[in-house]
Amino acid sequence: MKGARPLLERRLLVVTGKGGTGKTTVAATLALAAAARGLRVLVVETGRDEHVPRLLGHRGGPVGHRGAETPAGPVVLRMEPYEALAEYMTLRLGVPGVVTRLLRQRAFRQLMDAAPGWRELVTLGKVWHLEQAREDGRARFDAIVVDAPATGHGLTFLDVPRVVVSAVRSGPLRRHVRWVEELVRDPERTLLLPVALAEELPARETVELVARLREQVGVALDRVVVNAVEPAPFPPELPDLDRRLAALPETPGPEPALWAACAAHLAARHALNQHFLGEIAEGTGLPVVALPLLASGVRGPDDLRRLAGPLLEDPA
Amino acid sequence: MSAPDPARALLGRRVVACVGAGGVGKTTLAAALGLGAALRGRRALVLTIDPARRLADALGVGALGSEPRPIPRALLERLGVPAGGELSAMMLDMKSTFDELVARFAPDAATRERILGNRIYQHVSDALAGSAEYSAMEKVYEMSERPEFDLVVLDTPPSAHALDFLEAPERLIGLLDSRFVQLLLHPAMSAGRLGLRLFQRGAHQAFRLIERVTGFGFLEDISEFLLAFEGMSEGFRRRAESVRGLLFGPDTAFVLTTAASRESVSHARDLLGRLEAQHAHVLGVVANRVRCWPDGAPELPPPGTRERWHERLAAAFRETAGEAFPAERAARAALDVLDGYAAAVSRDAEATAPLLDEAARRGCFVRRIPELPRDVHDLEGLVEIERRVFVTPGPRAETEAK
Repeated sequence: MKGARPLLERRLLVVTGKGGTGKTTVAATLALAAAARGLRVLVVETGRDEHVPRLLGHRGGPVGHRGAETPAGPVVLRMEPYEALAEYMTLRLGVPGVVTRLLRQRAFRQLMDAAPGWRELVTLGKVWHLEQAREDGRARFDAIVVDAPATGHGLTFLDVPRVVVSAVRSGPLRRHVRWVEELVRDPERTLLLPVALAEELPARETVELVARLREQVGVALDRVVVNAVEPAPFPPELPDLDRRLAALPETPGPEPALWAACAAHLAARHALNQHFLGEIAEGTGLPVVALPLLASGVRGPDDLRRLAGPLLEDPA
Repeated sequence: MSAPDPARALLGRRVVACVGAGGVGKTTLAAALGLGAALRGRRALVLTIDPARRLADALGVGALGSEPRPIPRALLERLGVPAGGELSAMMLDMKSTFDELVARFAPDAATRERILGNRIYQHVSDALAGSAEYSAMEKVYEMSERPEFDLVVLDTPPSAHALDFLEAPERLIGLLDSRFVQLLLHPAMSAGRLGLRLFQRGAHQAFRLIERVTGFGFLEDISEFLLAFEGMSEGFRRRAESVRGLLFGPDTAFVLTTAASRESVSHARDLLGRLEAQHAHVLGVVANRVRCWPDGAPELPPPGTRERWHERLAAAFRETAGEAFPAERAARAALDVLDGYAAAVSRDAEATAPLLDEAARRGCFVRRIPELPRDVHDLEGLVEIERRVFVTPGPRAETEAK
């Protein structure tokens, strides 16, 4: 585990985690930091809603499947599986008209709506395609950040190529999926970044996720990002400030007892987070990178910049 | 002045479904609602997906079981549950696959074996049309029919889109009815009718396309799978329709939950819109783990008086803590604590306001549950949350809400 490579040396960074852990924040922060170093960056969102463009300073309408460059630099697109499917089929068949007609058929839609796995597959396929894309004699994107679906689904997301390769006996699909699988498993190019919260349930889920990823997918992992960690509320030389406050006599103006309650609350949250940081590190055997909970919330590029430093630090 | 608590309307339903993205405290809320119902004399069952271990232990579902387990009477009495009030809990096993359903609806052993042995089935049954979600919904239906429960509180699974779960029956019906599937099943039979013939021409083309893209043989496996499935599709459909009818009918109430982050709130707003579009009965919206002031909030230093406050605090520290204590620095640090706390309180209030305002406009009851200093994993913690949902807000909370 020693000497983890700097995050931004990877071409493909897949950010995953339980819903609500802030993996979108982490994906946007990575993209912003990479762009600030002069890299050409693409962010792929896979959810139903777009969040990354706004975080990167984009105003105006959705960027959609075609994507758009954001004020902070990275290009962002939101993967639309049916469009990616149409692109793939058109590439294979060369006749867009037929593909469009097929995709418009209600019956075909009904079948596809219920069919498993293909959304993940075309999404990864398109990511592979973009990873391969070249422009002016070099790779079109130096770094691609994928904000992957929430875990549970996140595991399926990366595992689909393996399942398809074992289910489809032969043919071009199998060959293409093998390429995608090779990309996912190539530690030189690809890194999976699990995002967790330092609380009981997300901590446990992260430990389980890492175990299953190692067992099933074989994707490179070298750290866990733990988001929204309550910072130490008091300076180190005043560890018992809350109790000191509680012991103060009533004064006009500030009410020490209530003040102390706020301080005690922060101290308890901090201790809780520290405890589960330890559990995550121990349970996964991976170094942990802690991002502070911002009192301002995460609203845009300025807030992301405050997270970029801790995120890119060498994992402890 | 006091209208009846709107949250009590939940108690008259057969099913209360807690929905929301993953990681927003749905499981805890579901357990708290179940306990709240028991405290008001109902016989409640909490169906939970993936409780934190200590919460599972508290509910007595530490071991995975496919049958409800009652929480011991003595425990409930200690919490003030009256005679007649009961609480049971059960873990919904999301890993139980379609196999069970296949076993139930297959007309004969040969069909069953053919399905279970099919190559496609083996690879995709877990994911087919949200089969795990569907199996879980089946269980909800079954439990809601049991006479020993007045109310089933459902904790929905943390699927990427929480609604996948609820829409699973619909998607399954759609798939079975799809003409595409019908054609795979009876290519010859349906050739007689003109409309279908036209369709079939398109479908043939579609099949050829798919085979060219996927490689020969894939479709053959699918069609063999669907053929095997056909014998059981009727029972399946009827059941799926009943399940859907229960969920979106008047017997089910939805409670939408969100965490206080902007991301979570925007997801919840999207969910609220989609639930309303399905005519689901969304009764309440709960913002969970919102940083609030402790009861009787501290007074913030009015603008321009910060230095005076600092002086006062430092003086108070000097008086009580002795010479060696760094009173100046402590006073500064205490002011910083308060500033940080105030910023977080307004951060969460601002983040949740758009959802809660919209919910109130739609006539839902709206609750903010304060972030607690620790994880909730015992019955006492659940009581604390339950009180925030069912007990009519006091004057303070009302001012807060406005």
